[in-house]
Amino acid sequence: MPGASVRVEYQEELANLEASALGGLDLVATALGRTLEAIEHQDVELAQIVVADDDRIDGRYLEVHQSLITLLATQSPVATDLRLISALLHVLKNIERMGDQCVNICKMIPLSGNEPPADEEMVRLILSMGKHARALIGQAQRAFAERSVEMAQDLVRQDDVVDDLNRECFRLALEIGDDADRREWAMTMLLAARAIERIGDNGVDIGEQVAFVVTGLFREFEDASHPSP
Amino acid sequence: MTEMGAAPTTSTEPVTRSVARGAKTIEARGVNLFYGDFQAVEDVTVTIAPNKVTALIGSSGCGKTTFLRSLNRMHELTVGASVKGEITLDGEDIYGAGVDPVQVRRLIGMVFQQPNPFPTMSIYDNVASGLNLNAGRMSKSDKDAVVERSLRGAHLWEEVKDRLDKPGNGLSGGQQQRLCIARAIAVEPEVLLMDEPCSALDPVATLAIEDLIGELKSKYTIAIVTHNMQQAARASDITAFFNLEETGKPGRLVEIGPTEKIFTQPSEQATEDYVSGRFG
Repeated sequence: MPGASVRVEYQEELANLEASALGGLDLVATALGRTLEAIEHQDVELAQIVVADDDRIDGRYLEVHQSLITLLATQSPVATDLRLISALLHVLKNIERMGDQCVNICKMIPLSGNEPPADEEMVRLILSMGKHARALIGQAQRAFAERSVEMAQDLVRQDDVVDDLNRECFRLALEIGDDADRREWAMTMLLAARAIERIGDNGVDIGEQVAFVVTGLFREFEDASHPSP
Repeated sequence: MTEMGAAPTTSTEPVTRSVARGAKTIEARGVNLFYGDFQAVEDVTVTIAPNKVTALIGSSGCGKTTFLRSLNRMHELTVGASVKGEITLDGEDIYGAGVDPVQVRRLIGMVFQQPNPFPTMSIYDNVASGLNLNAGRMSKSDKDAVVERSLRGAHLWEEVKDRLDKPGNGLSGGQQQRLCIARAIAVEPEVLLMDEPCSALDPVATLAIEDLIGELKSKYTIAIVTHNMQQAARASDITAFFNLEETGKPGRLVEIGPTEKIFTQPSEQATEDYVSGRFG
């Protein structure tokens, strides 16, 4: 049957699973947005919603993961399909980790008190980090969906911005002063900044998977253990 | 749909029904199959569900083809072969007294390993051959309609509509197998049995047949014997694994379950070993 398309159902199933996995990034973007709002307003209730809602991200992970395993077992995917499934398994893990980082931050919010001795500059930095990380998540999602290696590589530049802000937070924390409450607050905020920094790294990892799907070659965009001179 | 409850022995029912009857359930209970004194299959109890594709897998000699052939009374065509146990089609015993085996084979069609169109017959006559046997007289226009519907159902119509009067053996292997499927569905069976229907075909023709099987299950109950485990994985909803303890012993049903479970988390070690390619 020349020209006829075969295995249409399998192709549809794979496309649906990709959409479902990448849709997990929408859930993460929402969680991060709420997390930032909760930090800004010390909104303990909103933070609790983020913690409870992480079940949806975990559920998405488990559901798509199981379906991908079934596709591997039953459809013997090869070539691009195989790379895509391998990449999606990675990306699912990244998404699940990003969700967990939001939870980590939100669990700290009650600890930092309802009227914390906040340093406005540090809050501003962290919110800025969060906004950049959120944009990075959106860009990682688009890069994957469009199979754009160029857009994926640009995630490194976005992540550098997040990293710089993180270092800036650290510098501020060092100079926060002698007040014990303020120092405790600053330490907690550093952990939050660290969590957002990790979200950025997970976004870059998704970009690396885009390059793997497109080129078949895996290489780290940034090698933290062997930084370029 | 008026003949829904018709006994399988009815031979006068029209074959030009515009609405296909529902797929039916085959149930085998305690089935033992013999060639003379040799027992090929021991104590198989299994339900073959309607509107699903059930794959029978297992190494050579495990009895899966013998079992398949017992489901439409073809096993008994071998000299000395015999059947013990019960096989029902929606509750009706297909081995019951007074049941016409020819009628059973019309309700439960079979597609074979080697495409076997009648070589000298035209494509048209190949598809219509079952009608001639089953219906006696049929008007030309009714027959035309059934031939077209069957060829469309087998995804072959577009490729052969301009040469229906040419011999069936002029087609490619994959086309011949689809012609045999068209011939099998022309008589509107309730069950389609397939015995390694793709083993003589190239990969593209194989995938085309697998897609076709996936569509046919909306109308029929389908059981397929295959040596190609990946085909079972791709094309079936339910997988039954047959095995024999050693050569000379009868084959038994080891495990049956949803295909994704059989291929990701089978219950039996023997099944795991077979689907992993560790033996068999």
